[in-house]
Amino acid sequence: MSVTQTTPAATRQRLDADRLLALVCVGLPLLGLVLFFLYPMVIVFLRSVTVEGGYGLANYTQVLGSSGFWRATLHSLLMGGATTALSVFLGFIIAHGLHRCAFPGKWLIRGVIILPLLAPSLVQALGLIFLLGRNGVISRALGVEIEIYGFTGLLIANTLYAVPQAVMIIGAALVLLDARVYEAAEVLGASPSRQFRDLTLPAARFGILNAAFVCFTITITDFGNAAVIGGDYSVLATEIYSQVIGQRNFNMGAVVGIMLLLPTVISYAIERQAMKRQQTGQSAGQVLYRPSFAPLRDLIMAALSLLICAAIVAVIGIVVYASFVTLWPYNMSLSTKHYNITLAGGYSSLWMTIVISLMAAAGGTLALFLLGIGLRRMPRAVAQPIQMLAAMPAAVPGMVLGLAYILTFNSTATPLYLLYGTAALIAIINFYHYHTQGFLALMTGFRQLPPALEEAAGSLGAGLRRTAIDIVAPFIAPMLVSVFFFLFMRSMVTLSAVIFLTTPKLSVAAVTIMRLDDAGLTSQAAAFSTCVMAVVCLALLAMKLSMIVMGHRRRPKGAS
Amino acid sequence: MYLTVRDATKTFGTFTALDRVSIEIERGEFVCLLGPSGCGKTTLLRLIAGLAEPDGGEILLEGESLSNLPARKRGFGIVFQSYSLFPNMTVAENIGYGLKIRGTARSEMSQRVSELLDLVKLPHVADNFPGQLSGGQQQRIALARAIAVDPRVLLLDEPLSALDAKVRTELRAEIRHVQRSLGIPTLMVTHDQEEALALADKIICMNHGIVVQAGTPEDLYHRPKTRFVAEFMGISNLLSCDAIRRAFPHLLTMRPEGADDSLVACIRPEQIDVTPAQDGNATVRAISFLGNLRRLEVDSVAGPLVVETHGTNSCREGDCVSLGIAPEACTWLADDIARPMAETPA
Repeated sequence: MSVTQTTPAATRQRLDADRLLALVCVGLPLLGLVLFFLYPMVIVFLRSVTVEGGYGLANYTQVLGSSGFWRATLHSLLMGGATTALSVFLGFIIAHGLHRCAFPGKWLIRGVIILPLLAPSLVQALGLIFLLGRNGVISRALGVEIEIYGFTGLLIANTLYAVPQAVMIIGAALVLLDARVYEAAEVLGASPSRQFRDLTLPAARFGILNAAFVCFTITITDFGNAAVIGGDYSVLATEIYSQVIGQRNFNMGAVVGIMLLLPTVISYAIERQAMKRQQTGQSAGQVLYRPSFAPLRDLIMAALSLLICAAIVAVIGIVVYASFVTLWPYNMSLSTKHYNITLAGGYSSLWMTIVISLMAAAGGTLALFLLGIGLRRMPRAVAQPIQMLAAMPAAVPGMVLGLAYILTFNSTATPLYLLYGTAALIAIINFYHYHTQGFLALMTGFRQLPPALEEAAGSLGAGLRRTAIDIVAPFIAPMLVSVFFFLFMRSMVTLSAVIFLTTPKLSVAAVTIMRLDDAGLTSQAAAFSTCVMAVVCLALLAMKLSMIVMGHRRRPKGAS
Repeated sequence: MYLTVRDATKTFGTFTALDRVSIEIERGEFVCLLGPSGCGKTTLLRLIAGLAEPDGGEILLEGESLSNLPARKRGFGIVFQSYSLFPNMTVAENIGYGLKIRGTARSEMSQRVSELLDLVKLPHVADNFPGQLSGGQQQRIALARAIAVDPRVLLLDEPLSALDAKVRTELRAEIRHVQRSLGIPTLMVTHDQEEALALADKIICMNHGIVVQAGTPEDLYHRPKTRFVAEFMGISNLLSCDAIRRAFPHLLTMRPEGADDSLVACIRPEQIDVTPAQDGNATVRAISFLGNLRRLEVDSVAGPLVVETHGTNSCREGDCVSLGIAPEACTWLADDIARPMAETPA
């Protein structure tokens, strides 16, 4: 007899202050998602089907009929495929070395792995030019001339950028495999190679799949490396750029953007599925696998891992080094003259980027926190679609989002035009560009919060506001801090999303680096890159420090 | 009546967690909600706490409906199985949190906190963080936090289930003591019948979302009304009318009216006397030594029986014995085991 009684009391409860607050918590971030993600995406789609005098598919037929588009598509897919294969292979070697082999110096590898994430993607390309370009250190030392602009250079640059992602994803999958499983196999008489084939590989399967899709996506959507070292090898990302900036053809740019969106959406959807499959294998109270030393395996793995890491370090290190060289490659004495940057607005864009990144990080973290708090109070039927929407932005390449923003906010049709050309809009696009990663990370934090804590606070008389401030925020503080710094660091280095939104008066660091390089001032570009990396490193340091401080506050003085 | 739940109903999708459940708690009374997992006991507690909304029915405190009061305004105290102390606050801050929300003055608050720490026998942990305490200590603090605000009702959701056996017995006595001395009406959810027997003034036994039987611990143990209650409350020998007729015909005198297959006889293991006898018609199949008692598995004319004896019983495995059961030791009850299963889809 489950007759639903809608008593007057129940209706009153709907107007309860807490419910109102929960609605606001969800409503504001949701409004942001609609205004700054859904709406621009609709606009970009509409523009792709806008033809003279109405709507139609003429833009598509024109794009699909052009050989340039097909060449760029083919190049993108080829580049994506090759980079993916290479980075997953190399990434697996390092991840396996880290989690399944015993050798010293792993902290070094862990450190190196995060390096590429600290720099704009075009730094890999810059580094390659200094190493393998016509005046590169290696080319000159060996006396060989490698055609670095084009497929080879882009493949290496993209791979070096993607490998760390692969290592992290595959590593996360390997960590999940319990030590007891290996002990059981050992007792049953399985040889190490059998254990690898029967336990390690199957466990890493979804991690590998996942890593492949992530590498593929970041490769085909990356703009920085392609712009610097791609040369004549046009890919979809550079194609959009040349349509929009070169030919001022926004509708055609929109079409190419939609075409670029297709593979990334598909790849992202599969990746999410793979992730779900992987997580089901997780068990509570798992025992960490501690490999014992096996000379042959471990020496080879250590050598390979360190070799790959050396390449990553070399490419980034050479940029820092080159920024101090007086006149590359003729006068190799050190000086700081390249740091005297006056072109392209000098350092003003660096300061502006820091301000923008702080805005994106603070506003974004607050918005995500509110969303997380509110979603916990929403019924499943409401929460689920919102969660899906919040996880969507990751499927949209930065170039496409940037294009969508210029089409939306550079139009005087709505009051949103007021945002155009402001630092706030760049902060907003950075937040929504990385919305998914921040949201998913924070949701993980929220999932660890036992509902009983909030219920206990509620029974003691705490309302939603109090519970959020006294109980929830302190509990997920470490997650909030890491989301804040994640948004900050990404905003510092991102290029693809903001390239369309910068104006001569308002530029950001990554764009300045590209402009300097375009102008042939490669050493100054290197110097500027070094400054950006320094800022991001400081941010990373600040994050680690605040984590340590927070860890201490929770376990203060006195007994253990 | 202090707290009344009338016809509370709650469904989750197609699953009926509570089907028109009515219970009552008197002032100062300690009531246990007892039942297997999934019987609806925790759902009922959450409805009373205001952590979930009923689909139907009403909950009254001193005659006034609670349905328009959110949990934070009910003034109840709750203790969860998982301790659920706020990890970012010290023990003193945890206990004082409810008082802080009510705007209690600082001096009064610290006074109250130290009183409560004394009450739960942990006077020296005020400045510790929950992570530094053992499970049992954390649960004592959770109890102190719940009673700090002088709750109108104390709700305990399996508070002892996460603790190990010895701590559990200690804390059980502690809860009993605190509840008695403060006289707070208390509702505790548990699946442990021993816990319920030891603590409760009244036990409400639930199964499949309905109340199967409510009464004093003695009532439920000695006078179960259904097979479910008899089986859930300790060990019992449940015998069909046929078996009784064959083996212990003298017990039939107390048999109520009713068809043979609707009735079952319940005889507790300690109410059967075993005497070694050459001509006995029962055999001891196995003996387990349990310290204060010995549990015998006996094959009898009525089928296998469990018998418990204290002290000086010299039976050994394989011995022939005769069995004695007093007529009043046998309780006749309804054989209900199939009924609720058929009514409620799983």
